[in-house]
Amino acid sequence: MITAPEMSEAQLESALGRTSPVVKLAVAILWLIALAFTLEPLPPVAVAVLAIGAGLWLGEIPPMHLIRALAPLWIAALGVGLFNTLFSPANLDSTATEVLTIGPFRITEQALMSGVSIGLRVLAIASVGAVFALTTEPTKLVDSLVQQARVPERFAYGTLAAYQAIPRFAEDLATLRQARRIRGLRGGWHPRLLVSLLVLAIRHGDRKALAMDARAFGSVPRSAYRVIVWGPLDVWVGVAGLFVAWAVIVIGR
Amino acid sequence: MTAEPGSIRARDLGFRYSGASRPALSGVLFDVEPGQTLLIVGPSGSGKSTLALAIAGLVPRDFDGAFTGSLEVEGVETRTWDPAALSARVGIVFQDPESQLVMEHVEDDIAFGLENRGWHRGRMLARVPEVLRDIGLEGFERRRTARLSGGEQQRVALGGVLAALPAILVLDEPTANLDPQGTIDFFARLAAIKAERETTIVLVEHKVDLAWPMADIVLALDREGRPIDLGRPEEVLVRSGVRMRREGIWLPERGAPMPVAGPPVTPGPPLIEAHGVRFGYDPQEPILRDIELVASRAERIALVGPNGSGKSTLGRLLVGLLRPDHGTILLGADEPSNLPAAELARRAGYVFQDPETQFLANTVEEEVMLGLRPDERATAGELTERLGLPLGQFGARSPYLLSGGEARRLSLACVLVRWPQVLVLDEPTFGQDRLGHEALVEIIRERLDTGICLFTATHDRRFIEQVAERIIELGSGWIVDDRPIRRAA
Repeated sequence: MITAPEMSEAQLESALGRTSPVVKLAVAILWLIALAFTLEPLPPVAVAVLAIGAGLWLGEIPPMHLIRALAPLWIAALGVGLFNTLFSPANLDSTATEVLTIGPFRITEQALMSGVSIGLRVLAIASVGAVFALTTEPTKLVDSLVQQARVPERFAYGTLAAYQAIPRFAEDLATLRQARRIRGLRGGWHPRLLVSLLVLAIRHGDRKALAMDARAFGSVPRSAYRVIVWGPLDVWVGVAGLFVAWAVIVIGR
Repeated sequence: MTAEPGSIRARDLGFRYSGASRPALSGVLFDVEPGQTLLIVGPSGSGKSTLALAIAGLVPRDFDGAFTGSLEVEGVETRTWDPAALSARVGIVFQDPESQLVMEHVEDDIAFGLENRGWHRGRMLARVPEVLRDIGLEGFERRRTARLSGGEQQRVALGGVLAALPAILVLDEPTANLDPQGTIDFFARLAAIKAERETTIVLVEHKVDLAWPMADIVLALDREGRPIDLGRPEEVLVRSGVRMRREGIWLPERGAPMPVAGPPVTPGPPLIEAHGVRFGYDPQEPILRDIELVASRAERIALVGPNGSGKSTLGRLLVGLLRPDHGTILLGADEPSNLPAAELARRAGYVFQDPETQFLANTVEEEVMLGLRPDERATAGELTERLGLPLGQFGARSPYLLSGGEARRLSLACVLVRWPQVLVLDEPTFGQDRLGHEALVEIIRERLDTGICLFTATHDRRFIEQVAERIIELGSGWIVDDRPIRRAA
């Protein structure tokens, strides 16, 4: 069964845990936009370090949870960086400075710079995303989007319901593959699996929609059980986030 | 907080789903007074669920079709009710607990329906703890719904509906997916709710021994969705017992017998063996621990234990659908998880608990024939006929549009058609009416007489009595008991 790691009481009550998810989301997006303005290696490293530091100290994420979430993303970042270094068009440019040659690959300084830069930005994006996910309860995110960012309810709660169903799809897929095997059909990823999975997803969605409808979803203006209010923390996190974004743009120039 | 129970009145009620060849319901007539409990019984495909959905106003609102006659809730036609107002008066609990839960945490899910109806926050804060007490889940406020047992999830679904103080509570086979303990707990809550007389209850349920004693009125439907009888439970039993039995409706009997200890089985040469088998997605909470098991030809084994005790996982390991983390499993002389699929399918069969999750074709006929060799195809027609799914009538239909009982019999046909030597059935009798159950038992007994080895994970005492000679009980991933039992003739 695949489930997101459960958030501890300490995580929920931490400074980042109590900050409005909308503010955190806005800061994360702002940082990523700021990174788009620079090709220097320092800003993405600084953003990644700040995000991880904030996650550990302000978000009280258990280090092991963070490492487990980040490891695959960092490996992906390394892969992206490597790919962009090896296959950069700059390597074919005979005027570019050659750094080293590995077998058939000639690697130039320009290619290396752009590969490192792209890899580091992927790393920064992954770190910010992981820290956001590990300090934000999905329910609180949706409540906050609806109450503070005025996202339409039908979309927001519908998405939450679909998100809850993801572990079920993973199980359905495993069962369907087993069902093929026990009927003597060879393993692997037969396209029919996708058709059956889609049918199951639609039927599950239908049942969920019917249950939500029966519980008066979308019938009258909704009230809120869990009220999300703005607090001083939101201001602090917002101001600090803005400052970092500004610093990234300035340093990166 | 208290609610006022509501009345229901049906006159010559009928409904035909668009595209269907015959009506799901026709000529239905009944009156339910405020605070009464109506039990709806009928064989597979008799329109019980359709009637439940109609009372909640979801038929015809969410389903296309032709509605005839009259159905009134509190004196007003369901079709003229404002949907929001009707959903505030009538609550409905469905069969699958998981598909009814929307929010991540228990208290948020209980409050979800109240938020949708625009309740003030103060009222919600007072009501949610009351509901948690009513469903026996105090202290579960911040628990994640995904981590609860099926029985607890279903009580959360019940709580989410009860929270809004419905005048009418409709329950469509609410315990179909629950284990015996979950079912008993659920009915205990329901009995307490009935005793308060604050809500009228409409119950669709196959588990007759628990459901009949709760009913004030019983409505029996036939295979075509027409009424057989209506009245007080004891009157209906006397007047129409024979007719209902012939239609395949389960009727209350003296409680299903407890398995009696049987003579020790003299083992033949082992056909399937498990030694030191451990399995678990999460090493901290393994699903199975140190399983030791030997079974030979002609053994008839019931795997019992609460939901989540590892029955389905053990079954899948035994036929090589999963690979153990530690230990070995032998099917004959081979590890089943290493066998090529074609060879595995010849030797072993597995029927999954949820029929829908094993369908891989667009029609019933394609589904049965999937992966068969030409010489195996010949028997498919006879087998499907005996399971009540003659290919002439059902062959071209989509497997997904069968009723619950039909879908389960199809999933069984797909495996039986190959004559495997080891057969693992996960809850094969779920949702079967009497005729479906009897056809199933007869075919399985015939196969057993040819010397196959049967494992069946089941909660159904009647079925255990009819087929099993050995019970293996699982608890939290351990084998806690393994004993012979006497089989009924």
